[in-house]
Amino acid sequence: MAESENGSIGLPDLGDSIDALTFEQILEMDDDEEEREFSKSIVYGFFEQADKTFKEMDSALEKNDLATLSALGHFLKGSSATLGLTKVKDSCEKIQHFGARKDENGNPTHYDDRKFLSLIRDTVKVVKADYKEVERVLKQFYRDPDAH
Amino acid sequence: MRFDDNMDRDQAMGGGGSANSSSDFVRKLYKMLEDPSYSQVVRWGDDGGSFVVLENERFTKSILPKHFKHSNFASFVRQLNKYDFHKVRHNNEENGHSPYGSGAWEFKHPEFKANNKDSLDNIRRKAPAPRKPPQVVDEAVPTQQMDLVNTQLVATQQQLQQLQQRYEELNIHNSILTQELIGVQKTVVNHEHVMQNVMSYLHSVDARQRRDSKAGGPFANTEENTAPSANADPAQQQISPLEDEPASPLQNASKLLHEMSADVQLNYKNLEQMSEVHNRNGAISTPPPDGRHPRAPASAGSSSSMGYAKLHGEQDAVVYPVGQTNGIDPMYSEHIHNIPYPMPSKDETIDPRVSAPAGRKKSAQVDPGWVRAPQILLVEDDQTCRRIGSKFLYSFRCAIDSAFDGLEAVNKMNAGSKYDLVLMDIIMPNLDGVSACHLIRQFDHTPIIAMTSNIRSDDISMYFQHGMNDVLPKPFTRDGLLNMLEKHLGHLKQIPDGMEPMAQNPGTSIPQSSAGHSLKDESSPTQSPSTISNWQSPGQFSGISPTQAVPPHQYMHPMHSGFGQEQSPVQYQVPHTEMGAPRQMQHRRRISEIGSDDISNDPKRQRMYDQTNPMGMQPMARPR
Repeated sequence: MAESENGSIGLPDLGDSIDALTFEQILEMDDDEEEREFSKSIVYGFFEQADKTFKEMDSALEKNDLATLSALGHFLKGSSATLGLTKVKDSCEKIQHFGARKDENGNPTHYDDRKFLSLIRDTVKVVKADYKEVERVLKQFYRDPDAH
Repeated sequence: MRFDDNMDRDQAMGGGGSANSSSDFVRKLYKMLEDPSYSQVVRWGDDGGSFVVLENERFTKSILPKHFKHSNFASFVRQLNKYDFHKVRHNNEENGHSPYGSGAWEFKHPEFKANNKDSLDNIRRKAPAPRKPPQVVDEAVPTQQMDLVNTQLVATQQQLQQLQQRYEELNIHNSILTQELIGVQKTVVNHEHVMQNVMSYLHSVDARQRRDSKAGGPFANTEENTAPSANADPAQQQISPLEDEPASPLQNASKLLHEMSADVQLNYKNLEQMSEVHNRNGAISTPPPDGRHPRAPASAGSSSSMGYAKLHGEQDAVVYPVGQTNGIDPMYSEHIHNIPYPMPSKDETIDPRVSAPAGRKKSAQVDPGWVRAPQILLVEDDQTCRRIGSKFLYSFRCAIDSAFDGLEAVNKMNAGSKYDLVLMDIIMPNLDGVSACHLIRQFDHTPIIAMTSNIRSDDISMYFQHGMNDVLPKPFTRDGLLNMLEKHLGHLKQIPDGMEPMAQNPGTSIPQSSAGHSLKDESSPTQSPSTISNWQSPGQFSGISPTQAVPPHQYMHPMHSGFGQEQSPVQYQVPHTEMGAPRQMQHRRRISEIGSDDISNDPKRQRMYDQTNPMGMQPMARPR
């Protein structure tokens, strides 16, 4: 199918951070493959959501608020997973676990809170970097003039 | 009508013996009228030239059986007509009523007279065929049809009965299965706790050891080398680097894990037996769409094996991301084969990067063939998920309403909004999905599907305990969503006409129905990034998937042909085997169909599987 080929040609350069299948099924929902109105609005909606969530994570880190960090991690995990942003999702999940005083696999662990906070701090750095990468790739995909 | 036939035969025998002897029927009639005790019911007419049935009902019930071995007044009349008796009509008389009463039936024949037995010989049966062909046709055809219908009825009843038995049997199996799975689940949960205790204890011991002696490292290493089976355990290899020193306690833990796995397997023996029974009977049962109870523990149970996988093989580092193979713990794959559902094959797991160009066909619009647009309530606090979910649902021709959180969902349903299905996120602000479901269940039984990435066994059993009907692991996929809809909204689907010929001739092309399309187009991608249900038995969805929709149709098929072609009803005598066979055939067919599309991809698929990303967010085997 022509549509499939077009989509697939555009996709490989999305790289490892993005699960092509997951993302592609959203692209399929676009009525117009030039405009890509639907997927673009979803993706840019996610950008806003991510920016906001990162800010909230920073402030929760300042307050040593593990519960909020866990909730924020969960929240961003959901939307990043739905878009197929695998790496972002994985990091968010770790944040969710650490915030719930679990290890990165979700098993209850007996560190003290400072340890969890430092784990989260590290993971937030990772997730921000991962996010930057997918943001760049996605903006390129949508031919965003901001893309560098 | 059979009575008539009997009498015809009587007549034929009686009349055939001697041309002079009167027919049995007429003589019986005459004899009956000679009995004075019947005079209140049936007697000669006043002039002796006719006879009168005064009380139709008593005549039919008590006298006819004695003399004519049946109690069918209409037959009696018909028989009379055959011998050229005629009903005496009184329309032309003064009052229009019979002198014997309005309910009386008076019959006469010129040769049938009281006290004139000899003239009975002159009463002959009218030659049936030549003289009254229309009547013969009238009677012969209905008789045949009646017989046919009767036989079919009996066959159908037998079939029903067998189905009933089968159903009860399956019910029993199901409850055994359920109990078994609950047991397994509990065991696994217990083991998990034990493990945690053991591990934390070992950590403390190990820490002490290391403090006490610098020689701890080498010592541990030695022990590791001498420990027999533990080295083979992947958990060991994984844990060691993780915990940054290998130590004997950890080996012990691994051993414990091994022992546990044995326990769990013991529990599965019952299941295996059951599955075998199912297989033998060729029953691939699909739970009813809202058979909450039976399914609940089943899903929870198998998911516990996922929890187990996590426990046991730390290589699946991530718990929820619905990893591709999580649900089916590779260590227990053997019992999987005994489950009568077609399990998703791991080989089908596809690396998205490879498979995407590998001919994934898209069809943005899938019409699952609803009778009417299903009303779906999507409860989701995350805008991204909500929008994508809505878009998918919309592409499946559903009518969507959405709620931001559990509270809004409860309010909507409480206010009387009716939905066919509720898709419910679990973790939401204000009111979480489980609580919302619990509240909704107080007044409504619409199927509610949990949409969540939290699919550990205890999570899942909690969902079911609070009245949820199913779990759609997040991130959901379009296919996963569609499967869920088809599974729970089967009653809104029309069975496409094209199905029947397809079922009959496996070789013929795909049905024209859109459902068929969706089967072909949507299933060839065979992957879907998260998916649906590792932990679920795929048989469940296929329950309502297009292919599976066929078998019920097929059962009816022999009926139709029986009717239409007036075949001998013998075919109903084997309903049981027939029942098994079509399903089998169906499966074979399905595989071949998909195979024709995909088989060429298989090697690729295997390769992909090897490449799969360990971190979970991956496509996994689609259950087809």
